[in-house]
Amino acid sequence: MEKATRKILLMGMSALLILPLGMILIWSVTVSWPFPELFPRELGLRGLGAILQPGAPALESLLTSIRIAVLVTFITLGITIPGGRALGIHEFPGKGFIKIFVLAPLMVSPVAIVMGIHGTFIRLGITNTELGVVLIHIVPVIPYGIRIFTNIFELVGDQLEEQGKVLGAGSVQTFFHITLPTIMPGIISAGSLIFIISFSQYFPTLLIGGGSVRTFPLLMVPYIQSGDRMMAASYSVVFIGAAVLALLAIENVLKLYYRSGTGIAGVFYSGK
Amino acid sequence: MERSVNPVIIVGIVTVTMLLFLACTATEEEAPDLEDMTWNDIVAEAEGSEVRFYGWGGDQAVNDWIRGFLAERMLDKYDITLQWVPMNIDEILNKLQGENQGNARGTADMVWINGENFYTAKTNDLLYGPFIKILPNFGQYIDSEDVEVKYDFGFPTEGYEAPFGKAQFVMIYDEEKTPNPPTNHQELLAYAKEHRGEITFPAPPDFTGSVFIRNIIYDIVGHSQFLDMEGDPEVVGEAIAPAMEYFTELKPYLWREGETYPATIAQLENMYADGEVRMVMAYNSNLVSQRIRSGRFPKTSRSVIFDNGTIGNGHFIGIPFNSPNKAGALVLINEILSPEVQASKYDPDNWGDLPVLDNDKLSQEERALFESVNPGDGALPQDVLLNNRLPEVPAPLVPIIDRIWMENLLN
Repeated sequence: MEKATRKILLMGMSALLILPLGMILIWSVTVSWPFPELFPRELGLRGLGAILQPGAPALESLLTSIRIAVLVTFITLGITIPGGRALGIHEFPGKGFIKIFVLAPLMVSPVAIVMGIHGTFIRLGITNTELGVVLIHIVPVIPYGIRIFTNIFELVGDQLEEQGKVLGAGSVQTFFHITLPTIMPGIISAGSLIFIISFSQYFPTLLIGGGSVRTFPLLMVPYIQSGDRMMAASYSVVFIGAAVLALLAIENVLKLYYRSGTGIAGVFYSGK
Repeated sequence: MERSVNPVIIVGIVTVTMLLFLACTATEEEAPDLEDMTWNDIVAEAEGSEVRFYGWGGDQAVNDWIRGFLAERMLDKYDITLQWVPMNIDEILNKLQGENQGNARGTADMVWINGENFYTAKTNDLLYGPFIKILPNFGQYIDSEDVEVKYDFGFPTEGYEAPFGKAQFVMIYDEEKTPNPPTNHQELLAYAKEHRGEITFPAPPDFTGSVFIRNIIYDIVGHSQFLDMEGDPEVVGEAIAPAMEYFTELKPYLWREGETYPATIAQLENMYADGEVRMVMAYNSNLVSQRIRSGRFPKTSRSVIFDNGTIGNGHFIGIPFNSPNKAGALVLINEILSPEVQASKYDPDNWGDLPVLDNDKLSQEERALFESVNPGDGALPQDVLLNNRLPEVPAPLVPIIDRIWMENLLN
């Protein structure tokens, strides 16, 4: 009985998540769908055609988006793994304050942050460059990374690392063969989150990239704002598809890498 | 326990190095003084360069025309690469403001601009100019004494923006459902009473909704008094009071009894496409033919204007103060003022935007270019529009009227 309820609940929740996506898929090929009719009256490929036709700017901007998001993901992981480790394992005065303080980018309005940083970036000469866009994307994703890795390191602790060191492993060996495989599930979930947040940034890219860095949302959002449902839905379909594919690719590469590894890395990850 | 070697240190070092490197390479380049150059020199200077054109990117037809026809023409004729950067004007102005404070070299060579935004940009010194006198086609094809060239929402353009196109407000009905559409405010009220809940308009500050309200005001109290009215809320409030009474009377017959309004014209367009309301409006008089062609509006949709006329305005192109390629921008803007480009832009198969050239200055053949364009299904011919065209109110009045309407109607 309880099992059945759970199953229904689960299916209901999945439907809630998937049905809106199905609507987007339908709208991406719907020319007109007036009110009381149950099915779209006319279908067409104006939207998807405009995106996928050769020479259209959409595909090139998609590659730019993916390149930026991958860079942001790796740099942010590089910053937040040690950051989260320090907060998760070490005790020091003011730790509680820092734990809250790193969430600041989520609490302050992004528009205010970005407009302020814009001035600084102009002085540094990195507005209108991909580097500037990568750096500005790092700002809103840091809190997520720190949060996830703090929790993970609180759970995992540093006993395994110490054990490795007792057995004679150096710092680098310890990191790559013990720490990294241990926190791999966290890396995958934090990495996916960071990737998606970077991938969907609009205003920061617009202001810092100044239109020179053309990411996919820069082309997509004007259509969403102008209410051209077919174009908006078509862009969304490509956007979601690309994000899912890129995420799957990242996850599988990481998993593959650590499954093929020997010793504790391989054992730990596959859970044997 | 020892700290492990953090990859972050490496990343950090790399980042800082890149920052320093970029900071050093971003030096100012001395721009030639374009006013002292001959047109041929400017064209030669622009050859082979890239021009970045920033503007609203929400319309696929406009995007396609600029990226297609216009870009190809510039490449063939001048070897100029046109990069179209879709971006909302507010965001462009934000960017220019920031660059102005930081004294930075820009990326935008041209911006699509008008009205309040031009006012903001001009008063904040964000525009280069005056430049229109440099353009040969401006002298050849444009009537420089035309009010719509000299003023933009009542604010003098002073040569800081070149005309790009003209828009005129129209209302759109489905002929099948509405064979005799209302052509003044009283008929509109009667029509709304007849079809309760099937008429509405976007609430200001939506651009199109705001124009609709001004158009109703014009229809009720006339338009001439506003042209030199100062931006005093009390004076404006008194002048438009009869129109506010009209809106209050209309309110209960509107969609959801006027308790709420669509927030954007986009929403209203979709409601019309879905058959939820009977009327939609546009500040692009040829929008309807484009929408019919893309299948979004019913094929029997027709544009309608009021007997007393509807508001028209112009849209313009400006050059940002820090444009890195002003010569290229000048050549491109000059080309946009040519009969071939204006005629192509006027063709609703491309965009359907009204031309800005002075008919009297065109040759027989050039005029034929425009006459051969069919305004398209549901659109009104150019002369009907131009003969029933009313000027916009001065820019400072727009937010005042919007606010008065909101105070009266939104509670």
